[in-house]
Amino acid sequence: MWCTDLRSIAVAIAVARKDLTAEWRTRELVPALAQFVVLALVIANFGFQFDSHNAPAIAPGVLWMALVFAGLVAFGRAFAAEREQASLEAMLLTPAAPAAIFAGKALAAGLLLVICEAVLLPALALFFSVPLSFDVVSAVLLATVGMAVLGCLFAAMVARVRARELLLPLLTLPLWIPFIVVGGQAVQAAMGAGGGTNQATGLLLDLDILFVVLTSLAARFVLDD
Amino acid sequence: MTRYEQAAAGAVALMLVAAGFIFLFAPTDALQGPVQRIFYLHVSSAIAAYGCFGVVLIGGIGYLWKESAAADRLARAAALVGLVFTTVTLIMGMIWAKPIWNTFWTWDARLTSTLVLWIIYAGYLMVRRLAEPGRQAARFAAVVGIFGFIDVPVVHFSVTWWRTVHPGPVVINDALPPEMLIAFLITMACTLVLAAVMIAIRYRIEYLMDQAAERIVAAPIAAPSEAGSAR
Repeated sequence: MWCTDLRSIAVAIAVARKDLTAEWRTRELVPALAQFVVLALVIANFGFQFDSHNAPAIAPGVLWMALVFAGLVAFGRAFAAEREQASLEAMLLTPAAPAAIFAGKALAAGLLLVICEAVLLPALALFFSVPLSFDVVSAVLLATVGMAVLGCLFAAMVARVRARELLLPLLTLPLWIPFIVVGGQAVQAAMGAGGGTNQATGLLLDLDILFVVLTSLAARFVLDD
Repeated sequence: MTRYEQAAAGAVALMLVAAGFIFLFAPTDALQGPVQRIFYLHVSSAIAAYGCFGVVLIGGIGYLWKESAAADRLARAAALVGLVFTTVTLIMGMIWAKPIWNTFWTWDARLTSTLVLWIIYAGYLMVRRLAEPGRQAARFAAVVGIFGFIDVPVVHFSVTWWRTVHPGPVVINDALPPEMLIAFLITMACTLVLAAVMIAIRYRIEYLMDQAAERIVAAPIAAPSEAGSAR
């Protein structure tokens, strides 16, 4: 049991490394996502009547909107290459556990989204002149974990379905709502709109654990089809 | 008259009985006036919707566990009926909210989670439509149904921690006068019977559709072997 656990972790890391290497060599997704989030901030700036007083109230909303849509693009791409080359089937033919392969895909996609956040958060702080505290960063990173596992689960599902671009947001966004509710509250508090953050961090951790366990149970049924 | 038509007629008659209790037996609310009578059907259809989605959950688990086509058909039928009852709940709630809260909508925990419930099961039906029919659609839908059922209490909890104006469960808290409680319990029982009959009819439709689809798939395979037989 201990040995197979170690093997699964090795498989997950190998799959994640493969995805990250592919991204490093092509450099497609991360530059496009970085450009996308900056564009989202520019659009938000024109969409809101924005000044220094309402910035703490508006900026958290802008942050989560940009992050959610960047996440949808990132996770939608996670299985695009596998689908085009039909390489997922080949991976599933190996003795590796489907849950381990799924964990690797989610890890890589989550890390790419973290890189995108490394652009989004400083850009938000710069353009909307809001403080970028530890609480903001930790809330966003904790939410990314849960968003990545859920996003990858449904990305793996819609990769085999017609009209996948339509279906991914429909399935993923409702399940991301708890992360956005709690993370949004934490970021609002950290940016000076009132409320407590300690409770939010604990709740985000609970949600992460819940959905990591659930998706690892469900991965077998989605991948091994 | 088939069995299903009889059941449907019975369910409609029961709903008329419930209407009698709502409008003739239950007293008018002292504060809210006649609009409070929405309560009976509003809460009953919410409970029926949760029941339907519970059936979707059980059907989904049953499918993933035993690969039983009947469990999947049951989940399919219950999802559609549950969506109808959720729509009824939302619309009646809005009609009730306008005179009492002076707004059709507020981002309260119960309202938010009911809306998310609606969106999730609308997505469930979309998966069913877009996935390849058969094993794939059934598996994917089962996963969506299970995640959806777990997500709704989570959404509810995370928003409750934030803000809420919706009244709590008055029935369990013993806050209703006896006439209102009787009218409510009768309406709820009738609504649950209606939901069960609707699921049964929908199950039958899904069964016939599955059979028709199987015939289409089986026809070209069966044709050469039966070429000699007189049909």
